[in-house]
Amino acid sequence: MQGAPVLEMRDISRRFGSTQALAGVSLRLYPGEVHALLGENGAGKSTLIKIMTGVHQPDSGQILLDGRPVRIGSTLEAQRLGIAAIYQEPLMYPDLNVAENIFIAHAGRGPLVDWGKMYREAEAILAQLDVRLDVRQPARGLSVAAQQTVEIAKALSLQVRVLIMDEPTAALSAHEVEQLFAIVRRLRAQGVAILFISHRLEEVFDIADRITVFRDGRLISSAPRADVTVEQAIRDMAGRSVEQLFPRRHTVRDEVLVQVRDLGRQGAFHGVSFDVRAGEVLGFAGLVGARRTDVGLALFGIAPADQGTITIAGQPVRITNPRQAMRHGIAYVSEDRRGLGLSLPMSIAANITLPTLRRYLNPLGLLRRPAETDTAEEFRRRLAIRAPSVEVEVGKLSGGNQQKVMLSKWLNTRPRLLILDEPTRGIDVGAKAEVHQMIDDLAAEGIAIILISSDLPEVLAMSDRVLVMREGRQMAVFTRHEATQERVLAAAMGQRDAA
Amino acid sequence: MHTWRQRMRPEQIRELSLVGLIVIALLIFGWQIENFLSARTFNRITSSVAIVGMVAIGQTLVVLTRNIDLSVGSIVGFTAYFVGSQLAANPGLPPVMAVVLAVLTGGALGLVNGLIVAYGRVPAIITTLGTLAIYRMLLINYANARTITVDSLPSWVVELSRQTIFTIGDFAVRPLFAITIAAVVVFQFVLAYTVFGRRLYAIGSNPEAARFAGLPAQRTVLAAFVLCGMLAGMAGFLFLARFGNITAVAGQGIELESVAAVVVGGVNTFGGSGTVLGALLGAFLIDLLGQGLLRWLGISEFWRDALLGLLILLAVASDSVILGWLRRIWAAPALRAEVSNEG
Repeated sequence: MQGAPVLEMRDISRRFGSTQALAGVSLRLYPGEVHALLGENGAGKSTLIKIMTGVHQPDSGQILLDGRPVRIGSTLEAQRLGIAAIYQEPLMYPDLNVAENIFIAHAGRGPLVDWGKMYREAEAILAQLDVRLDVRQPARGLSVAAQQTVEIAKALSLQVRVLIMDEPTAALSAHEVEQLFAIVRRLRAQGVAILFISHRLEEVFDIADRITVFRDGRLISSAPRADVTVEQAIRDMAGRSVEQLFPRRHTVRDEVLVQVRDLGRQGAFHGVSFDVRAGEVLGFAGLVGARRTDVGLALFGIAPADQGTITIAGQPVRITNPRQAMRHGIAYVSEDRRGLGLSLPMSIAANITLPTLRRYLNPLGLLRRPAETDTAEEFRRRLAIRAPSVEVEVGKLSGGNQQKVMLSKWLNTRPRLLILDEPTRGIDVGAKAEVHQMIDDLAAEGIAIILISSDLPEVLAMSDRVLVMREGRQMAVFTRHEATQERVLAAAMGQRDAA
Repeated sequence: MHTWRQRMRPEQIRELSLVGLIVIALLIFGWQIENFLSARTFNRITSSVAIVGMVAIGQTLVVLTRNIDLSVGSIVGFTAYFVGSQLAANPGLPPVMAVVLAVLTGGALGLVNGLIVAYGRVPAIITTLGTLAIYRMLLINYANARTITVDSLPSWVVELSRQTIFTIGDFAVRPLFAITIAAVVVFQFVLAYTVFGRRLYAIGSNPEAARFAGLPAQRTVLAAFVLCGMLAGMAGFLFLARFGNITAVAGQGIELESVAAVVVGGVNTFGGSGTVLGALLGAFLIDLLGQGLLRWLGISEFWRDALLGLLILLAVASDSVILGWLRRIWAAPALRAEVSNEG
């Protein structure tokens, strides 16, 4: 862009086992430029970041800082060279206060802490970012956005020249993203070079000066934002042209499957009412903290509702545990694959049959493992799960394939109502498209689907109707053609719909 | 590259490497120690593995659910003494009744553990450390400084440790060892082919996923503790048959030996993976090393505990280091580009 690059990666390659994670990648970061990096999972973005921050060493290639070759042997060296990274989930010391977290990396300032000086300097740095945050407040209980701000302040305290932001917005609400971008623009004005990684294209096109696309460890394209279109970027990432992001068929049937009236749970949400028809996708939109997941958990009996009624196929039901929910044909695919959904040391087959084990008993009450294998193989084919065998541990699979195992597990319960909670978070573009196709297919089979997603374009594209929540309250329900980004966002942010 | 490495599960690798280590140890000891590969050594090891192995089966069930039972030594001692004194008082008691009595006694003690852990939500390590002391106290009170002696027992009990079921070359297989092998076979099967077994793995490897799948976690954990108690009770009966002379300190230290067998046998202390066969092999290897090193280096019995401790640490270290390393090797060819761990 202008002047000399602060950091230049020249012809960097790196292998892991038989995987060529990076193959001859060259990249220049200029001061005062936001450089966005796009690519599917496994494209090599993380490897590049890890080489920049000294976690990995390149097999070949050169790193130049201010035109001079450098070797980055550790994260500490990277920090000393002015290269820092912040991540989606910041690493905080929860019992230390904000100022201590900012200055945690400053060793060798003598054995005593000059508290007054530390607080003054911490406040000065935060003021530089135009952020109001009590520096004496413990980090515990800070929002993810505030924690990221602390991480940025920490990087600034170390005289950062290259700031790497790896999916910083994934856990932020729209408002918080705006605040973060304000900070990014301020840093850019101060001459910091920023490498910005995100799966959200709108954000990338909002903030970036230059957009670079990686695929399979190679640099595919790199151009100023003005010269790149969204379609072009997606084509470069996927390596194939994508005509339409989400094709949807109209499959809504007349039969109202689930009727929910005035559902609520003390301290979480209240007054939620909706119908879902067979073959319908009902989207749940809202910002972080809208309590959409709590509604899903109430329907599935994990955190049962204490107000309101649920009617399934005309029958009023009470759901107080997952077993009852499953008996009524409800399945819940949780957002957190590792934490809530899958048993990583267990095989694909054992994970898939876990909620339905009773189906696989022979007359002696013993498990028919060949039958389990058959079921798992069927799902492996149907959902294209990439694994050498269904006996492989789920922990060895990639995120997208784990997500498919999750889906298989719950589809195998043969649900009438499928609740999908953030089904595409953290999986790559290709896997995402497959999940979308699957949602469409399932709806066509007559399954009612509740789709909880923070990805607004996804909700809008996939849903027949969109229910918008904000802080535990239902704000609006839009039909597919009423639901525009502006109206949904306005409702989610508390603006009553004018129309 | 789609070879056995991808098909094998980590616990199978662990079991094979245990067999390998056992063979190596046998070769070294047989070469270095005169008369090591004798019927006597075999008998000593199998008699001792019979007891520890039986306890280790139950310990495996409990550890699979991310819990631990430290009270098993006290349960073994209590049951051995209690059944011994009943047999001494009623020599006409049928053998089956004696075994049932032992299993029920152990089961009752296990039930207490299980209720406190599963329904009282007290961590297992605290609960069973407490009951370790309490059960031992009950035994001391009950025994009142008396000893059960071989002479007071019906002869069929003592004969169990001397009879030969069949021989392999010079090696005689005793009933005690055969009973434990049978129990291992049964529970290996239970873990692989029953809903209960699958639930143990599921609850241990991811309690939240188990909850979402609607599994009855509390009941399953309770059942694991009850079974662990029953197996420890059975081991108490084997203990009685092997030694005949039972005092109030009977079974002390078995908790450490069973945990060592389970951990060396590849049962993950964070739950979710491992087999009872592995635990039996672990018990076998530990006892073999104990016997061998004692005779080879002429070290004292007191080194045994240190050896156990060392083996536990080695096993846990190799678990995290070697298995982690193996997993990375596996992951690379099977799933390209996942190494950089994006997303």
